[in-house]
Amino acid sequence: MDKNKFIFIEQTGEESETVRPSLTYWQDAWRRLKKNKLSMIGIFTVILIVLFGTIGPSFTGYSYSDQVNKYKNLAPRLELYEINGEYFHVSKDYNVFRVTSDGTLIDRLELNPLNRDMLKKVYKYTYGDDFVILDFSYNLLPTKMGYDYNQTLEYKGEVVTQPAMTKWNKMYPFGTDGLGRDLLTRVMYGARISLLVAFIATMANLFIGVIYGSISGFEGGKLDNIMMRIVDIINSVPLTLYVILLMVWFRGGGLMNIIIALSSVYWVSMARLVRGQMLSLKEQEFVLAARVMGVSKSKIIFKHLIPNAMGPIIVSMAMMIPSAVFTESFLSFIGLGVSAPQASWGTLANNALPGLTTYPYQLFFPALSIAFTMLAFNFIGDGLRDALDPRLRKG
Amino acid sequence: MKSFYIKRIVSMLITIILITTLTFSMMHSIPGGPFTRERPVPDEIMRALNAKYNLDDPLIIQYLNYMKGLVTFDLGPSYSKIGTTVNDLIVSGFPASAKIGLMATAIIVIIGIPLGVISALRQNKPIDYFVMFLATLGITVPSFVVATVIIYFFAGKLGWIPSFGIENKLGYIGPVIALAGYSLSFVTRLTRSSMLEVLRQDYIRTARANGIKEFSVIMKHAIRNALIPVVTYVGPMIAAILTGSFVIEKIFVIPGIGRHFVESVSNRDYTTIMGITVFYAVFYLIMVFVVDLAYTWIDPRIKFGEDK
Repeated sequence: MDKNKFIFIEQTGEESETVRPSLTYWQDAWRRLKKNKLSMIGIFTVILIVLFGTIGPSFTGYSYSDQVNKYKNLAPRLELYEINGEYFHVSKDYNVFRVTSDGTLIDRLELNPLNRDMLKKVYKYTYGDDFVILDFSYNLLPTKMGYDYNQTLEYKGEVVTQPAMTKWNKMYPFGTDGLGRDLLTRVMYGARISLLVAFIATMANLFIGVIYGSISGFEGGKLDNIMMRIVDIINSVPLTLYVILLMVWFRGGGLMNIIIALSSVYWVSMARLVRGQMLSLKEQEFVLAARVMGVSKSKIIFKHLIPNAMGPIIVSMAMMIPSAVFTESFLSFIGLGVSAPQASWGTLANNALPGLTTYPYQLFFPALSIAFTMLAFNFIGDGLRDALDPRLRKG
Repeated sequence: MKSFYIKRIVSMLITIILITTLTFSMMHSIPGGPFTRERPVPDEIMRALNAKYNLDDPLIIQYLNYMKGLVTFDLGPSYSKIGTTVNDLIVSGFPASAKIGLMATAIIVIIGIPLGVISALRQNKPIDYFVMFLATLGITVPSFVVATVIIYFFAGKLGWIPSFGIENKLGYIGPVIALAGYSLSFVTRLTRSSMLEVLRQDYIRTARANGIKEFSVIMKHAIRNALIPVVTYVGPMIAAILTGSFVIEKIFVIPGIGRHFVESVSNRDYTTIMGITVFYAVFYLIMVFVVDLAYTWIDPRIKFGEDK
């Protein structure tokens, strides 16, 4: 070889490796999560809903159980009739309210039973010394068909057929329910109950599932076999069925009972997941090293194994919360939920069912809240899975 | 292989016995018994009732009698519906539940799987986003909300379908959609993600490199493998759907098993609760078993009982 064919190149400092700050597993996961827009929207929404449920009710000025009998079944949007400079709202159940022009309720007009003509479908409401006359016979009586309005309102001789405007209900932004309770407060309170149930049940599931799963997976052998057989048997029937049976067994609702019922069943999926993680983790060298050094079993499990399995555990936890909200609302919906006057989103939806065609808003708000919460937690769960799943990590 | 099936059937029987025992002991340990009412029932009537339904026997005898009845498919009398047996309730409720369930299952399989495949093949294209948007909506909105919205708009406002009952053929539309909604979305998402996973595999690349037509790569190689997790979900789902959804049947007033169950829960009709739970569990276990059989057909690599 001719030495001249080789040229020495100058060593420059520029070509040294680019140094990145080393990130821990969690810093890295957080960095990935922050990039996921949908997850961040989800986290933001969950924070909002939690605030909505915790401090919200203290700003509405009503309590979840306050009943104002005269203001029942009021919609969030009020149709106002304008007569002689006064504004009236006629509710779906034929109550007439005096309202200011911006939608603040002043009072309900009295209706003397004697002034209620059921045959002609004309009601005369007392207002001061005068009467406000509501005639809702149009398109109802066979002699009065074919009108393009269903009711007329008469006050001091002036008759109005169409509402002048539609205003937002200033006093009750979400309207009121059949007992005159503020729906906004009740939906907020429902958020509190629904999320409380979901969080506590999930925490309990996490606790039981992780301990059960890690013992089963770590010990292996006969104990593992027996423990997993138990899980298989519990899992061989839809879990909702157990929850229902437990609720029947508890003889009805109550916050505590729902939480106990939910947490005594749903841990099985967590236990399976943790066991799977344990099986692969316990074969790794660091566990062997710990064993050689004489670290106790419980310390190996809690200090070394569980922290290493935390990624999948957290992902499945994020998915558990919405399913707990779902199950709770479902239980409340079939009448096994929290007892009145407490309200969760499920009971609110259930209560709205009989009057659905007349008062759809009573279902709308709780349903929307459930959907938003589910959506937010699903986004977070998806994001967490992408952020924590080692298979997606670049080398 | 044969020994595997025998083992499976034995473990199914053990599970059924355990579940029955569990339900039985739960229902019999509720304080007060099935005939306790708000207003105290006179002692003589209580005694007569207990004697009529053999509730004055020792618990172990009652248990053995119940198990004996179970072997002959006799689930005992209903406590709250006088003169009806639990068998009557199940026989009268199952056809309605199963009809709606079958239609919902058909929709889920016929629409859900192709949608999932299409959106996987067109990943990050508008159609994928659209399908995923609908699917996400489907799993976030509870079925009772879907059902009530259907009633409100299509039955109430538009008057296209009856708001309850299934005497009319159109009456099936509402419950079927509400029942299928969640699972349809779930199956679509599952198919999509499992299809994406399969499409990344080496053997798909090999198949493409070998010049096999794209259509047959997808149909012959990809879908079959992508369907395994879907089948795992669909099997138990069919059991759950066929036996009726509590909520949907309550809302649409359908005389199915689910409604009987909800009614028996609110009536504290313990034998009916027990009977339907057992029926449900058996049905579910059978479906899971069928899924295992389906695995070996879809994926011949899976051979049970040979791993040991």
